[in-house]
Amino acid sequence: MSKILYYTVISLWLLIFVFILNSGDIAKKPWSHDDDFVLYATMLQKDITREDFRKASHDLEQLKKAWSKIVSRIQYSVEKEEINAIYVNLARLTAHIKNEDKKQALVEIEEMWNHWHHLNQ
Amino acid sequence: MSEAAVVIVRSFIAFFTLLIFTRILGKQQVSQLTFFEYVLGITIGSIAGTLSVDLSSRAWPHWVGLLVWTFTVLILQKISLNWPQAAKYLTGKPAIVIMNGKILEENMEKMRYTLFDLLEQLREKNIFDLNQVAFAVLENNGELSVLLKPEYQPVTRSDLHLPPQKEGLSSEIIIAGKLIPEKLKQIGKDENWLRKELLKQGIKKYEEVFLATYNPAHGTLYIDKYEDKIKKKQDDPY
Repeated sequence: MSKILYYTVISLWLLIFVFILNSGDIAKKPWSHDDDFVLYATMLQKDITREDFRKASHDLEQLKKAWSKIVSRIQYSVEKEEINAIYVNLARLTAHIKNEDKKQALVEIEEMWNHWHHLNQ
Repeated sequence: MSEAAVVIVRSFIAFFTLLIFTRILGKQQVSQLTFFEYVLGITIGSIAGTLSVDLSSRAWPHWVGLLVWTFTVLILQKISLNWPQAAKYLTGKPAIVIMNGKILEENMEKMRYTLFDLLEQLREKNIFDLNQVAFAVLENNGELSVLLKPEYQPVTRSDLHLPPQKEGLSSEIIIAGKLIPEKLKQIGKDENWLRKELLKQGIKKYEEVFLATYNPAHGTLYIDKYEDKIKKKQDDPY
């Protein structure tokens, strides 16, 4: 009986480790309305395409808040470089939206999508 | 991103994964490891280290690496256990370096084993004269096993036609001032006997004793008191 318990506990620990190390995909998904990265990024992309930079600025702030919340969850399972890359994209997007530079902002947002999809891969 | 928090979590995972995996691999002393097993150990340790602190890459691939290396070692261990023929190729064979007192230079060259290595390992075994050696075998773990010529082998009780002496393991009955009742029961004695024995040496309380052991084969009691009564304590043996 104790041997079964011993192996069960060990297997359980290993499963927990595997789960933590692969939790990125689950942790990326929104847990509330405030951390829906995909929703805010999509809205931002539409704002930039329509050249509505005032709304884009507002949505970018929401996107930054959502990203900060997600980072605290995904940091254990994804590359630090990918996280930093999205931070850089957000910083550049801030500048492009301030300058009302549609072309550069769209390039930046596409790159951000690319990083987003490569998280945990 | 809190790097410290990530390192703490990853280190915890690496530590316990390594602990579980090494327990799976079984108990082997470092001195029993072959060179290949030694290198494997370093590699597995290195992967665990990277898993713990290399935040530039995901932890999962490192964990998988750790798993693969550990289970490859486990498979090799199983093969060596079940197929002795395969073990010869996987772990190598012991090589005879001295036969009937003659050094086998060819075998030594095959093993890249120098004369200085041989002499050093003989000295480690308190053999300073090659004339004393009949056979020497270089084992897979690098240890040298030596068989001395009959005239240099130590005398045993059977050589002197003496009856064999009883040998037995000592049991610790008092450790750090505390009596271990189970051990006392095991050796078939009681507290009255122990108190009498302690009184003979002027000890009134168990708390005065650092260690007391009893050897049932010889019927001897070893007592070490906290108070050593050594005038000058010496930390440095030199």
